[in-house]
Amino acid sequence: MSIDTPAIDWAGLSPYFALLGGIVAALLSSVFLRGPARNAAGFAIAALALLGALAAAIALAVVDETGSGMIADSLRRDRLADVAQIVVVCAGLLAALLFVREPDAGERRGDAYALLLSAVAGMALFVAANDLIVLFLGLEWFSISLYILCAVTPERTRSLEASLKYLIVGGFGSAVLLFGAALVYGASGKLRFAEIGLAGPGSDRLLLVTGLAMLLVGLAFKVSAAPFHMWTPDVYQGAPTPVTGFMAAATKAAALVVALRFLTEAFPGEAALWTITLAVLAVASLAVGNLGALVQRDLKRLLAYSSVSHAGFLLMPVAAGNALGGRALLYYLIPYAALSVGSFAVVAARERELGRAVTIDGMTGLGWERPVHGAAMTTFMLGFIGLPPTGLFLGKFYAFSALYERGWTWLMIIGAVFTAVSVAYYLGVVRAIYARPVLAAAPAGGSPPRDTAIDVAIVASLVIAVGTFFGVDPLIDVVTRAVADLTFPF
Amino acid sequence: MLGPTVAAYLVLSAILFATGAAGVLIRRSPLIVLLALELMLNAGNLALIAFARQHADSGGQVFALAVMVVAATEVVVGLGLIVAMSRKKVELDVDALTELEG
Repeated sequence: MSIDTPAIDWAGLSPYFALLGGIVAALLSSVFLRGPARNAAGFAIAALALLGALAAAIALAVVDETGSGMIADSLRRDRLADVAQIVVVCAGLLAALLFVREPDAGERRGDAYALLLSAVAGMALFVAANDLIVLFLGLEWFSISLYILCAVTPERTRSLEASLKYLIVGGFGSAVLLFGAALVYGASGKLRFAEIGLAGPGSDRLLLVTGLAMLLVGLAFKVSAAPFHMWTPDVYQGAPTPVTGFMAAATKAAALVVALRFLTEAFPGEAALWTITLAVLAVASLAVGNLGALVQRDLKRLLAYSSVSHAGFLLMPVAAGNALGGRALLYYLIPYAALSVGSFAVVAARERELGRAVTIDGMTGLGWERPVHGAAMTTFMLGFIGLPPTGLFLGKFYAFSALYERGWTWLMIIGAVFTAVSVAYYLGVVRAIYARPVLAAAPAGGSPPRDTAIDVAIVASLVIAVGTFFGVDPLIDVVTRAVADLTFPF
Repeated sequence: MLGPTVAAYLVLSAILFATGAAGVLIRRSPLIVLLALELMLNAGNLALIAFARQHADSGGQVFALAVMVVAATEVVVGLGLIVAMSRKKVELDVDALTELEG
């Protein structure tokens, strides 16, 4: 008797193998090594695995002329997945740099690297999902890794509390998403996105639409779009800062790319419905995020509300539902991810220097004490507003063009108004950075040792954020090819 | 085919889901909240299996099996967190976890 062995696309799966190998190696190294060697080995393994996955994803993005399915067509190997994986892996690399001297992680840092790799691998799977099972599994894989990562500093009560809150709210979102997936499966009888799209609503449109709504709610929890954002400020504040930086950048990128693929492929017939729903979510996120950020004193909470408001900006091009919107989303995500990780890196550096949570007042004089950090943070804040010289300027412009093409001028105006509101709190941070220090803020025991890793992360984020402004032509080429396979409804 | 119709299973799973959702939103003990989360996930499973039977398709059953694994993982992490918190003598009441509010 012979067994038919299925064809396995080893090349297409190579990013996953790099990451999975890294997880195993990092866990084993933290079993067998002790002390500083454990941390050094953990970081080296994480960096190697992430660089390997990055190289594999870049190579795939170059060679993938047309998309293809992998593992019984449950995974997609195409440029959209490749580009999203590149963004997620880069966010992971920058976050790994921030972990090098995370003071509270202690001996547990080896495990933290394994969990970080696991979260990246989950997101890499998530963005390639081509059916409802992989969608749910990928989502839960990276979410559960993130729940544990939030608690990787268990000496801090806040960190445990944030982790439990994230688990409960995140679990709620996943359960809603699962029930929605079950309803969509019931209405169409299919699990693959494209087949759901072909099957159409069948005899029971109500079932399909209810399922779609619940799936959107589940994804909105992950994107932290209002009104499903309530966990965001607490979790961002309570989680260790390197984890927060990674979550802010990578979770959003992954969930939005998946939303784009899944909505255009599985629900072309309901496009009028989901585009308007996303537009409403975008407006709610813009309002809640920007108005909430105005009253924050804690910098991590401020950045959390800022991330809610950017969830609104990122939903706008998806809501436009046209090819320009798809390109705008991908273009926006790249500088946004760099700005997020970069700003949390500056917060992490400042936090270690002061030995306490950083408020806006805590940034006072940063621009004079540490000119590079100050200049970088200023660029990040201006970038979040959407001013040059960061790529977000063009990202916002691109997103607005997509809305214009769709004919939704009202949404453009709302976006512009809230951009104006956001100037107030972002410039508040810049003002603090360049204020003359009133009193010496250094903690007892002097400054911590120089942390080269965090400086590298800050400078790298700065280079990416500014580079996307000047390297606009090749990048537009990349994102255009990435969404070329999708069929947009408008 | 004898036995209840798919619609009956769907109604039951909707009731289970609503019970679970209410439990997450109302109950204060994190243990009960985790239990309610499980109920929500398993309501999804029941719906998946009922639909798999209706469409005579094995995909839904595979999905349900995968969900069981995920649900177990989630509970393990949740219980681990609760143990860590009780070791630190943090009050186990989700409404009392307010150190982060501000």
